[in-house]
Amino acid sequence: MARQIFEWDYTNYPGAKKYPHVFSPIQLGNLIIPNRVKYAATEDNLNSHDGYITDEDVAYMRERARGVAGGLCTMQGVYMDERRFGQGYVGQAAAWDDKFIPGLKRIADAIHEERAVANYQLMHCGRVGGVETPFCEGPSFLPQRLRLFKPVHEMSHEEVEISIQQHVDAARRGVEAGFDVMEISGIVGYLISNFLSSYTNRRTDEYGGDVYARCKFMTDIIKGVRGAIGPDIPLIIRICAWEQLDDVGGNTQDESMIVYQEAVKAGVDSISVTVGWQESIVPVISRDIDFGTWLWVPENAKKHVDVPLSMAYRLFHADMADKAIADGKIDYWENCRPQIADPDMPLKYLEGREEDIRWCVACNVCLARLFRDAPMTCYINPTCAHENDPSYYPQPASTKKTVFIAGGGPAGLECAWVAADRGHEVHVYDDREKLGGTIIDAGLAPYNDDELYRIIDFHKAQCDKRGVEFHMGETLTAEILEEELPDTVVIATGADYLRGNGAPGFDRDNVISLTEALYETKPVGDRVVVWGNRKPGIGCALALAKKGKKVTLVGPERTVGKDINPSFRWRYNMFLRQNGVTSYNDCDIAEIEDGRVIIMTYDGHRVPVEADTVVYAERGPSAFAAELKAAAAEESIETYVIGDAVVPRGLSGAVHDGYKIGLRI
Amino acid sequence: MSFDAEKEIAKLWAKCQAVQDENRRTFYQCREAAIQMAGDGADENAIALKAWEIKGKDVAKSYLPRIRMDKPKFVENIAKLFVNSWRNQGAVVTVEPGADENEVFIVWERCPWPTTAKQYGAPMAEDLAGCDLALQTTIADVALFSNRNLKIETTKAIPRGEGKCVRRLWLEQ
Ligand SMILES: Cc1cc2nc3c(=O)[nH]c(=O)nc-3n(C[C@H](O)[C@H](O)[C@H](O)COP(=O)(O)O)c2cc1C
Ligand code: SF4
Repeated sequence: MARQIFEWDYTNYPGAKKYPHVFSPIQLGNLIIPNRVKYAATEDNLNSHDGYITDEDVAYMRERARGVAGGLCTMQGVYMDERRFGQGYVGQAAAWDDKFIPGLKRIADAIHEERAVANYQLMHCGRVGGVETPFCEGPSFLPQRLRLFKPVHEMSHEEVEISIQQHVDAARRGVEAGFDVMEISGIVGYLISNFLSSYTNRRTDEYGGDVYARCKFMTDIIKGVRGAIGPDIPLIIRICAWEQLDDVGGNTQDESMIVYQEAVKAGVDSISVTVGWQESIVPVISRDIDFGTWLWVPENAKKHVDVPLSMAYRLFHADMADKAIADGKIDYWENCRPQIADPDMPLKYLEGREEDIRWCVACNVCLARLFRDAPMTCYINPTCAHENDPSYYPQPASTKKTVFIAGGGPAGLECAWVAADRGHEVHVYDDREKLGGTIIDAGLAPYNDDELYRIIDFHKAQCDKRGVEFHMGETLTAEILEEELPDTVVIATGADYLRGNGAPGFDRDNVISLTEALYETKPVGDRVVVWGNRKPGIGCALALAKKGKKVTLVGPERTVGKDINPSFRWRYNMFLRQNGVTSYNDCDIAEIEDGRVIIMTYDGHRVPVEADTVVYAERGPSAFAAELKAAAAEESIETYVIGDAVVPRGLSGAVHDGYKIGLRI
Repeated sequence: MSFDAEKEIAKLWAKCQAVQDENRRTFYQCREAAIQMAGDGADENAIALKAWEIKGKDVAKSYLPRIRMDKPKFVENIAKLFVNSWRNQGAVVTVEPGADENEVFIVWERCPWPTTAKQYGAPMAEDLAGCDLALQTTIADVALFSNRNLKIETTKAIPRGEGKCVRRLWLEQ
């Protein structure tokens, strides 16, 4: 008889009518889960250095559990070896001893307190998991493709058997801690995937050979874990349906389907379908990948196995997930980053509050932080990883103030809604007719950068709900300040695009601003030099290259896109190459002449580049911000400067500044 | 401001060559430091060869992300990685076809390394053995990584007075 842990009645929720498949129950093994939402495992580097669960991690998980509204909520993968082999992250939770059970229980309890189903994950990071060891473990020795990772120690037969037992013991600890579902992670190049892949498994013992033999490590673990957890706890495995390693001799897709069948035969109740390894040369989850791109993968897997399948991987929206379930491509909907960015994302869908969702922009800063041994953070969600700190959440203001905000971009709007939420009377001024500031311009860059505007949609909805008054097409001037005398001024006017660096020729007619180039309000020739090798310049260069222009990018940063996190920067390097954009980094413009630009290297060499148009995309401090600050000081008004008006940065700096100042006013 | 392209290119070219020279000199300076630190009675040749081996290992690390086994001409593509590395170091190198797709010859018409070896008093035999060891080490890692039986051998060598270096790179079936 199938059992259900928590009863949820969704009948009166608007989201259940709109997304009937997502908010209908699903049976995994002998367990009925009230809906088809799964929060996917997320390492957050929030746990203690020796693997104990912290208050921060419990608070992080509690919020995600609330968000799945009765669905499945997965904790981060635990490492299972006292010697720390398999530990991929400095703050990863451990489960190599019974002493970790009380901490793990706190996570299971927090999930249960939100009436969600608690999923536990075993994760040995294999050839990419040796953060605290001089080398990592894997089925075979072969050199690392990425310098980031340590040399691989080839596990002996005995070590393989010990590792299997460690999985079994750690699974038992998960059950004792009170988890309802058991998951084994074999994704992105972790140990199980290393054994499965023809790329990394060259063993000649019983754990290597053809694909069936390579499955033995996985199937031994599945059988052992099943023995430890009994028949009633559903068992899920996360494995690749396509490794994306054809260039180095990885498994074919047919072989991956054999792996799926072997996993089912060994006793899993469900598979979480994944794509790609960390070592793959093709992107899988960055913003340039369209939503739903990978849905054909589980659809194909369905032809080979008949257990319920789930998938995450840029499947951010309930409508897409609902349709995919209806069409039989997946059985339930998994997501990770959307709930890093907004823990309540599924709940807001259920409650019909879609406009309140703070959307992930698929920038991968969260991942980049983990690889740098830092606690996770989110580019767009200021409270992420601070869930345990009440000072990060809006409290009613002790004195109600009139707050004037100059600038309706992400910094100003974030500040506006938070300040209004706390009870202040907030007015936003912007000389544009449309909200969004430079995010409107940024959205003109290719590769799905228009997705960035969704933060503005979120802001607008939050401001509207809290009565923020917009003064569009109106600049907040010294005269207005003098006349209205608000209690507080927030200057969020962004940065200025600098018309040159003082070199001769920047005053020519063919020198235009980034916005003039993007909106084509001034003529743009066929050969363009873009000055500024940070994100705005790159976006502009790519947008122009897509229009068929020959673009040269010149800028003072040593590498292109220094302001983009490394987990995403490689994508931009690739886009620039693919679009034939030549980059001169650590360089500046020495002179603009008729038909050409003289570029100067950092050490004084001069290179001529043919150009009929020069676009300036370098940013500097806002002159208007300085003027307004002085005017506010004259009237003794409490003043804050936020976002790019402080120093040119990007969307994340704007949102985080706006939020924090919104809390402080 | 006037712009003299020829002068700029000449300056850049001179700088590029200076960097290439400095790169080799640094190698020999470190070799000498290691030998001196090892003290009397140390096996100088063994120390030098270790340095070449480490160089070969590190070169392999930069090749591995570039390996594409799903593309044709696997052997030629690996040879081209060597060609690029050595050109950057100031050598004149080309790839010539072998009997079939699984064999190529890498030909060094000119290589500045033996000259630097002489300047630092290193024996030619060491230069040859060192360079061979670096190439063997790189190829061993490339072969291990790609799971292909890739081999390299020296058939002619400038340090032996044979006018050019020729290396046969092949996939043993
Ligand atoms: C910060 C971060 C941490 C992750 N940690 C884990 C983990 O511990 N175990 C695991 O199986 N997957 C982990 N993943 C992968 C996610 O569960 C998910 O498969 C992936 O992010 C794609 O889904 P998405 O597009 O919904 O984010 C992590 C992903 C991110 C972004
Ligand atoms: S850091 Fe970026 S990718 Fe990660 S959840 Fe936040 S917005 Fe999404």
